[in-house]
Amino acid sequence: MTPQEAALAVCGIIAVYAAVRVALEPDTLRKLPFFNVLSFAVAGSIALIIPHPLSIIAAAAYFVGSTLESNAIASTYAGGLDRRE
Amino acid sequence: MNPEFLLGAFLLLAGTIAAAFPRPKTYLNRLINLEISAWGLLLLMLSYNEALALLTFGGVSALSVYIFVRVLQKKEAAG
Amino acid sequence: MNEMVILAFAALIIVGALLTIKESDPFRKLISLGIMIGGVIPFIVDRGLLDVAIAVALIAPLSTIFTLMVCGRGEE
Repeated sequence: MTPQEAALAVCGIIAVYAAVRVALEPDTLRKLPFFNVLSFAVAGSIALIIPHPLSIIAAAAYFVGSTLESNAIASTYAGGLDRRE
Repeated sequence: MNPEFLLGAFLLLAGTIAAAFPRPKTYLNRLINLEISAWGLLLLMLSYNEALALLTFGGVSALSVYIFVRVLQKKEAAG
Repeated sequence: MNEMVILAFAALIIVGALLTIKESDPFRKLISLGIMIGGVIPFIVDRGLLDVAIAVALIAPLSTIFTLMVCGRGEE
């Protein structure tokens, strides 16, 4: 097993563990940190699957998008933008 | 039978059934369950290596979600 | 990508889909949908369609944010 495959396996195990923790968490706001852990693991495994320069850009794009999604969910759950006039 | 085909077929079937019979019967739950089957169709297109179809479907799917959200907002405003 | 990693991401997709169907609160449904999307993107990268993967990874959160516009204010 090459070091790259070992790192990929570690990223996959972390992703599955984070998904199980998200599934078993009863509080909605406590789900979001584990969802961030899952997105870190998936971004790392995207960069490790194919040795190609464009795959790092794909990992960065997924990272940006997933963090934006998680923060948007947290912001809307906590009250959202105050637009009442 | 590659894994993409099997996973895409499972997602398409499960998402269609969940969108037809949502548990709390609201429009929002129906819209979110519709996205499951949209991702299943995307995986099914991936298993046949259709890059251009994948790109187009990804864009149009987000556009259709935006249109459905506008319709729901107008319905809420009308009462 | 070896079999163990394929199995891990397939488990991610199935757990996310079943959790999305099971939950009833819209916010919990959207978080579970995020788990499912995280499982789908590595399969696109594995085929070598990196440009499609970049586009889909940037469009998917946009769709979630559109859905959040109708999701209400949380607890008032």
